[in-house]
Amino acid sequence: MAKYEYQSGKTIHGIQRRRRQLPIHHTLHIAWQNIRVRLGRSLLVTSGIILALAFLTYIRGSDILARNVVTQGPPVLGERIEELEAQRQAFLAADPQIASKLKAKNADEDHPPKTAEENQFEALQKKMRRTQQIRAGLESEGLTGLDDKDARIQTRWMLSLAMLVSFVGILNAMLLSVTERYAEIGTMKCLGALDSLIVELFLIESFFQGVLGTTAGIVIGLALTLIEGQARYGSVVWTLIPYGGFLSTILICFTAGIVLTIGGALYPGYRAAKMRPVEAMRAEV
Amino acid sequence: MEEKKKTDSVETAGIPSSSAAAAAEENPLLSELVVRAVGVKKLYELGGETVHALRGVDLSVKRGEYVSIMGPSGSGKSTLFNMIGGLDKPDEGQVFIDEVDIAALDTFELAWLRCHKIGYIFQTFNLIPVASALENVMMPMLFAGMTQADAQDKAAEILKRVGLGQRLLNKPSQLSGGQQQRVACARALANDPAIILADEPTGNLDLKTGEEIIHMLEELKSEFFVTVISATHDHKMLAASDRVVYLTDGSITDIKRREDLDITFGTIGGQTH
Repeated sequence: MAKYEYQSGKTIHGIQRRRRQLPIHHTLHIAWQNIRVRLGRSLLVTSGIILALAFLTYIRGSDILARNVVTQGPPVLGERIEELEAQRQAFLAADPQIASKLKAKNADEDHPPKTAEENQFEALQKKMRRTQQIRAGLESEGLTGLDDKDARIQTRWMLSLAMLVSFVGILNAMLLSVTERYAEIGTMKCLGALDSLIVELFLIESFFQGVLGTTAGIVIGLALTLIEGQARYGSVVWTLIPYGGFLSTILICFTAGIVLTIGGALYPGYRAAKMRPVEAMRAEV
Repeated sequence: MEEKKKTDSVETAGIPSSSAAAAAEENPLLSELVVRAVGVKKLYELGGETVHALRGVDLSVKRGEYVSIMGPSGSGKSTLFNMIGGLDKPDEGQVFIDEVDIAALDTFELAWLRCHKIGYIFQTFNLIPVASALENVMMPMLFAGMTQADAQDKAAEILKRVGLGQRLLNKPSQLSGGQQQRVACARALANDPAIILADEPTGNLDLKTGEEIIHMLEELKSEFFVTVISATHDHKMLAASDRVVYLTDGSITDIKRREDLDITFGTIGGQTH
């Protein structure tokens, strides 16, 4: 074997140190393809985010809605009761006997047919009774029910738990995705990919899922809030929607969702980037 | 160089013995050393025990050479291979690639080296499964900073050269093993590297397809003016080599030139070439 002179410390001259290795649309494209190809797992992760965010939105949204209804509900309901009373008086003026007739028909076991007026009158009475009940409920509940300290602490615990579960879910799925793609990441590094590109790929992938899951979660959470409001307070909720409060809820939940997903992808992305390209050479399938 | 290419391929067809190595000695440019390993040692800690993967290996590879590294698993073949590929650094000794000491490079420079100077071919093909053949070949070009349009043209051209002009948009899963390895060869050539590193390139292919790949690598070697270093433990795959380096237990035990190899050359699928 011929002996050669040692030549050490020589580096590569004239290489351009670019910060971005790939144009962003390429990175986005690759990340999107990776999500599509693992759609099942992506949906699983996304559904975890959806659940956590729907819960968060629902808890915050329903609290804001309840406060609005409790403080502004009784006067609105009072007006409505007056309206309904005026309608009832109109029926009574047209037929003073209508109330007693209706009572007699309802008591009869043969179910004699009721007239249109009688039906309307009956519905009106029911509506009035229910509205009065809701108003009485709101007045007795007040803000004290909402400011129950124990209940609030409990809710906070549950929220933190939901966030933690969702975070661990994302972390776990991303770690699995890194392990599964060892050869692929190693290959990309062999082809000259920089660590920053690998981290970027994972973050973007997670970001896509985060945006999707968070948006869906917020929509579901708000829908649940309104459905529950309708069931509890009746149609009066539709006139008492706290738009400002809902907007801040949406912003807070969106930020929380994105922080959660990006946070969950940071460590897996870092691990992928620090992987040695030698791994790609290992011929285990 | 164009002329050289032609005469070379004619020679290869006519006199199949070490034409490239002979040409390398005549041409001063060819005799330049592209890989130089000096006293390379590598240790591994395995379960509290120290394993000597390499015990001082000296090896030089000339530009345009086809070198095969032979050895059973555990011989340090992969370790040596990884050093030459800039994937691992030696504990002792030095490895020069194109006269650059890889130990002196930072991560960015190593990535640059892998991108521009070395083309990898793996046993398991290792194509990016979500990308088409064309995108796979384009990827290293884009890493190197080439524009999308240029990369597309060049990638299509190389894929045509390896006989996959009709399958540019196929995903790896839609290609046979041999075709996937052809895509991998095209990808390895993407940035006009100095070295192609092929780790058991035929290990996952049947005999005939494997021989086709080896034959193609030999052709590409002279066409693209690259050095091919291949690791194998299959004697049938040595036919194209200018030199065969035998590695046992971390040391080079033998180096054979092509003319000394005791193998019959030139039969692919029973036909004489």
